[in-house]
Amino acid sequence: MPFLIENIIKVVFALIVLIVIGNFVLIGLAISRRQRREKYFQRIDAVRAEFRPVVREVLSGRMEYQEGLKRLQQISGLDRHYLLEQLLLEKKPSPTEEPILRRLCEDLGLVRIWQNRVKGHVDTASVREAVGRPEGILERVGRLRFLIRAKSAENLGIIRHRDSWPLLVKALDDPHPDIQSVAARALAAIRETESFPALVAQLHKVVLDASATALSLRSVKSALVSFPLDCAPALARSLQHPNRRIRFLATDILREMVVREANGDDQYDLDRKRVGAEIVEIFLTQLPFDENPDVRARSAAVIAFLSDPRSTPALLTLLRDDTWFVRLHAVRALACRKFLSQASAIGQALSDPNWRVREAAVATLRTFGAAGLNQLTAHFIHTADAYSREQVADEFQRAGLIPDLLQRYASEDDSQATQVLNQMARMGKTGYLVSVLSADAQPALRKKFLLNFARNPDPQIRQWVERVASQEPDPDLRSVAAAALGAPSAAGEV
Amino acid sequence: MEEWRQIFIHGMDMFNVVIVAYFFLGNGMYTILMVMSLMAVWLHNRRLAYQGLDEIRESPVTPPVAVIIPAWNEQEIITQTTESILRTDYPDVEVIVVDDGSTDQTLQRLMDYFHLVKMDLIYRPRLATRLVRGFYMNPEIPNLLVISKENGGKPDALNVGINMARTPYFCTLDSDSILEHDALLRLMRPVVRSPINVVASGGIVRILNGCRVEKGRVVSVSLPKSRLERFQVVEYLRSFLFGRTGWDLFGGTLIVSGAFAVFHRETVIEAGGFEHDTVTEDMDLIVQLHHWAVRHHRKIRMCFTSDPVCWTECPSTVRMLQKQRRRWQLGLCQTLWKHSEMLFNRDYGTVGFLSFPFHLYVEALGAAAEFIGYFMVPLAFLFNMVPPLLYLLFVLLSLAYGGLLSVGAVLLEELTYRRYPSFRELTTLLFFAFLENIGYRQMVLYFRFEGVVRFFAGFRQWEKVTHVGAGS
Repeated sequence: MPFLIENIIKVVFALIVLIVIGNFVLIGLAISRRQRREKYFQRIDAVRAEFRPVVREVLSGRMEYQEGLKRLQQISGLDRHYLLEQLLLEKKPSPTEEPILRRLCEDLGLVRIWQNRVKGHVDTASVREAVGRPEGILERVGRLRFLIRAKSAENLGIIRHRDSWPLLVKALDDPHPDIQSVAARALAAIRETESFPALVAQLHKVVLDASATALSLRSVKSALVSFPLDCAPALARSLQHPNRRIRFLATDILREMVVREANGDDQYDLDRKRVGAEIVEIFLTQLPFDENPDVRARSAAVIAFLSDPRSTPALLTLLRDDTWFVRLHAVRALACRKFLSQASAIGQALSDPNWRVREAAVATLRTFGAAGLNQLTAHFIHTADAYSREQVADEFQRAGLIPDLLQRYASEDDSQATQVLNQMARMGKTGYLVSVLSADAQPALRKKFLLNFARNPDPQIRQWVERVASQEPDPDLRSVAAAALGAPSAAGEV
Repeated sequence: MEEWRQIFIHGMDMFNVVIVAYFFLGNGMYTILMVMSLMAVWLHNRRLAYQGLDEIRESPVTPPVAVIIPAWNEQEIITQTTESILRTDYPDVEVIVVDDGSTDQTLQRLMDYFHLVKMDLIYRPRLATRLVRGFYMNPEIPNLLVISKENGGKPDALNVGINMARTPYFCTLDSDSILEHDALLRLMRPVVRSPINVVASGGIVRILNGCRVEKGRVVSVSLPKSRLERFQVVEYLRSFLFGRTGWDLFGGTLIVSGAFAVFHRETVIEAGGFEHDTVTEDMDLIVQLHHWAVRHHRKIRMCFTSDPVCWTECPSTVRMLQKQRRRWQLGLCQTLWKHSEMLFNRDYGTVGFLSFPFHLYVEALGAAAEFIGYFMVPLAFLFNMVPPLLYLLFVLLSLAYGGLLSVGAVLLEELTYRRYPSFRELTTLLFFAFLENIGYRQMVLYFRFEGVVRFFAGFRQWEKVTHVGAGS
């Protein structure tokens, strides 16, 4: 036993020595690295301070291009290309800066280096950088080379280097997932029409054989929606694909592209020449009747932007769909002024069994301005559907319509406003009303409200009346409130 | 008498074996986590050079997120936190502050600061919650909703927020925390990029004490002044950079800090939301999500990323630290006990065979073993069962190894994010990393031991840690 313990002691002692040495090695590493980095960054900062103004001036056109190029060519050192990359791509270029930046990158030899790196070739710049930068060697070691390759692909995307698209398309099938992902993003940034089908093929791969690619569905979708609408014809096959998920994704991608082009303009008309007659026909005749409800739902937004006599009937069909989210998308798609004439059909959605459809219907009617608001108000006053009423009351509050309603109520004998207030009081939706009245409402409004509503049994109104009766500086208002409190309640009647 | 002595000696022997086994098993696992994390965090940091945050920001495919901030008596910091979220760099964010029946001015301060008015909105409780008293909004800030409810605890407040959220993802954020401006974008990156459905994504929590905060933003990072807070800085680095990253690599994420994490709303609702029967509802939810995935045969991912940063205030007094650590340990024990069927259950893969046993035997029960060891080993020494030199060497080994892990965490921080800019701060961190194992670790161990004792005593109460507003 003593022999064993002695051995254990030796082992433990050795372990302690080893760990203490480990501690000191780690401390030394941390300190030396910090010092090395500080020195390195001092140099980088000095280069930045000297050449950043040059880059800025060349990009803004204040400095002659050739002069700027000459100045930047003066940067020397093992990590020259890295420094240039840092300087030029420090911030995202504006559309006007982009062509100049691209030219600079080409003339300084960066584009060629990046392209070589994406291809996986070893170049002299890489070897020099490996020695010149603190992490240079590691980034270039066998398995870690993807770091530098992915960054190079990213750079080509940042400067939107159009000629590099075939290289990036090839990179979509690179064995490393990072290269695939960055290549998809770079292609999306470059937006070369010819590269679109390659991304569509990736989309099919993700859905049909996820193991064949490391790209996520969102990454591919995100890349595809960045392309201009002129690429839409390439989606025709996907829109009619036997796989229901591919049809859904293609429809959704087109929807995103159209919505982006419309840019919030509800008068936007989708140019059938840009998307192609085939796509238009698919949207009007096939997708609204697709067996996949997701496809039907996503088609609505595109159909709404088509100026075709068949588009409104198609949307109305979708509005009556059995699946709630198809109705939801249809009612949302109808939120354009050109569908004002369909307000009554949309109004029917206010009583939809699904609350999200009701909510969307309220929001759609609100986009119709005064006409829509009038319809909402009339519906709110007359409907017997409590759920629908709740939804409209919710929107009145969220949209901040209560102060306006109270103004209308105060300014003239607006019977509609009075009826709405009555309805809200009956529903107990008086928190916002009371907040407005308590804040800095005009005395005339408060008096009118007191005269009409002070006896309402709603607890929030009651509390407010009690506050007015006890704390209001205006004796007239105080007495009206006090009188109301003294009088027997009239069960909510005005 | 001799018989009793023999039994005692035998018992001590057994216990010492347990302690040694615990030491080697636990530290062996920590070493593996450390080595793997060192590589992974370094690599992740390199990959950030081409992360494409702009693309996430600009893409219409990026899902909207609701940030849910449960608040109970947080009048000092609630407006600052809310404002920081409203200004966060994310394309579509909705902020839901849930006032969990505060007895101070939390609600009033929010109302005054954001000019909120009471609204009577529709409440559709898909998850059962306590009574909601009212909703407060400002139509000019449509993406901010404040909800007042009866006090029901943090899980209840979070469930109310989930019920009111309209977005496919929600982010939980502690009311004493500040997000870095692009933290949410970074946290959502795995959700957007991963080919596997990500249902939970956690970020790193760093210590706010000592930093300068202006208008809800951390404008300069420094180490806190007090020693207690500095120790916690090292501890957080170790816990997040090593522990969480390591388990993420193994696919065995069992803890995602609820102080800052994103969840898929529909999945969380299907899994039952945040439950009230543990005091660490965040860990409990993650374990529930593992259950849900196994039950429904769904392939999901729960991940941790080390670059999205959330700054949070750490306890500045020993009393508060004690409350916090006791609660964490109690919650850990409760959650592991509650889901004990996962232990060595092959349906759960890495979680069942590696992560769960590690958390149970090393993190939960290990605290008790280590604490008792501090008393039992000297006893063994007194009874001449262990040579004094061996005992002393073991103590030294334990201290040196603890130091190695902490120094390693500081090195990892230095290799990657370097949030503490001055050289002096680096050396201070290294010094505290070395020192952490002498005194501080034992104190925290005692608090954790208390947590274990409370678990066995059936204690279930949430202990509130009050904050003083550490960011200046």
